[in-house]
Amino acid sequence: MTNVGLTYLLLIVIAYGVLFRISPGRTRQSLAVAGQSLGRLLPLLVAVFALIGLFQVYLPPEVIQQRLGAASGWSALLSGGLLGAVAIGPPVAAFPLAGSLLAAGAWPPAIAAFIVSWVSVGVISLPVEAGVFGLRFALARNGIAFLAALLIGLLVGVVA
Amino acid sequence: MNLRKTLWTLLRSQWLLLLAIALYGWAFSAAPDRALDALKIAGTSFSSVLLLIVAVMGLVGVIQVWISRDLISRLLGRQGGFRAFFIAAACGTVLIGPAYIIFPLLMSIRAQGARWGVIVTVLAAYAVKIPMIPLEVQYLGWGFSLTRSLLTILFAIPIGLAVEAIMERPAAVDRH
Repeated sequence: MTNVGLTYLLLIVIAYGVLFRISPGRTRQSLAVAGQSLGRLLPLLVAVFALIGLFQVYLPPEVIQQRLGAASGWSALLSGGLLGAVAIGPPVAAFPLAGSLLAAGAWPPAIAAFIVSWVSVGVISLPVEAGVFGLRFALARNGIAFLAALLIGLLVGVVA
Repeated sequence: MNLRKTLWTLLRSQWLLLLAIALYGWAFSAAPDRALDALKIAGTSFSSVLLLIVAVMGLVGVIQVWISRDLISRLLGRQGGFRAFFIAAACGTVLIGPAYIIFPLLMSIRAQGARWGVIVTVLAAYAVKIPMIPLEVQYLGWGFSLTRSLLTILFAIPIGLAVEAIMERPAAVDRH
């Protein structure tokens, strides 16, 4: 991730360099906007990452495994969606976890709901989302994305 | 008086940070070694995305100042019609990186005239990771991965339209 970040940062710096040749004034304006957004977002992000650390320690993969391991039916589907919603981390981490659960005999719809919800519903990032888009948006989007994750999970069970 | 006002503003704007600090205070008093583990994880994951965050904010600045409102609203606003949603779904599937970095980027596009449905469709389609499909297949198999990805894409546009309908209900005016 650090290398990806460095690459992107380099590209942006080059872009600013090019833009500065076109119009120094507008580029300074861009820089000001970038600085303001960064300043507004940074405290929120520090908080979110601090919470991520706590979650990883207090909600380790083993707990998720226990919850999703054997059960099936509505409660498993709901647990899959809810655990996905509170879990936070790159999808790269969700796939191996989900794979080991499937291999251990977990119910596929619950696992599908878990993955979709992991990526598209974020309880921990909700404050950030509300800070950027407004609370109404954050609640509506996460609520509907959660229901969709359950539905997609069920359909995966029917199709696959 | 003034101090109290300042404190109140601080509490309202930084409640999440204060909550995190309080939780850490509790964790450190309960089990210092586990709390230290959590802090280490937080530190390493934050430092690994810090450069990306700075880069994305740079991009937000460019979008807001350089990309014309006309272009965005023609492509991704109401005038874009249904094509706007297809563009959004396609963009969502190729975007990578944590969601909280994507939010400000999408908000800058929204501020330039994109409709709510488009923003939500990007975020819904974002659960499909085309660059990571090989990895998903490796762990979960072709049948499961493809079915999940196709269903997620199919649902992305209806989710976008549903959230947009909620956002634009006349009863509650959006404060943004």
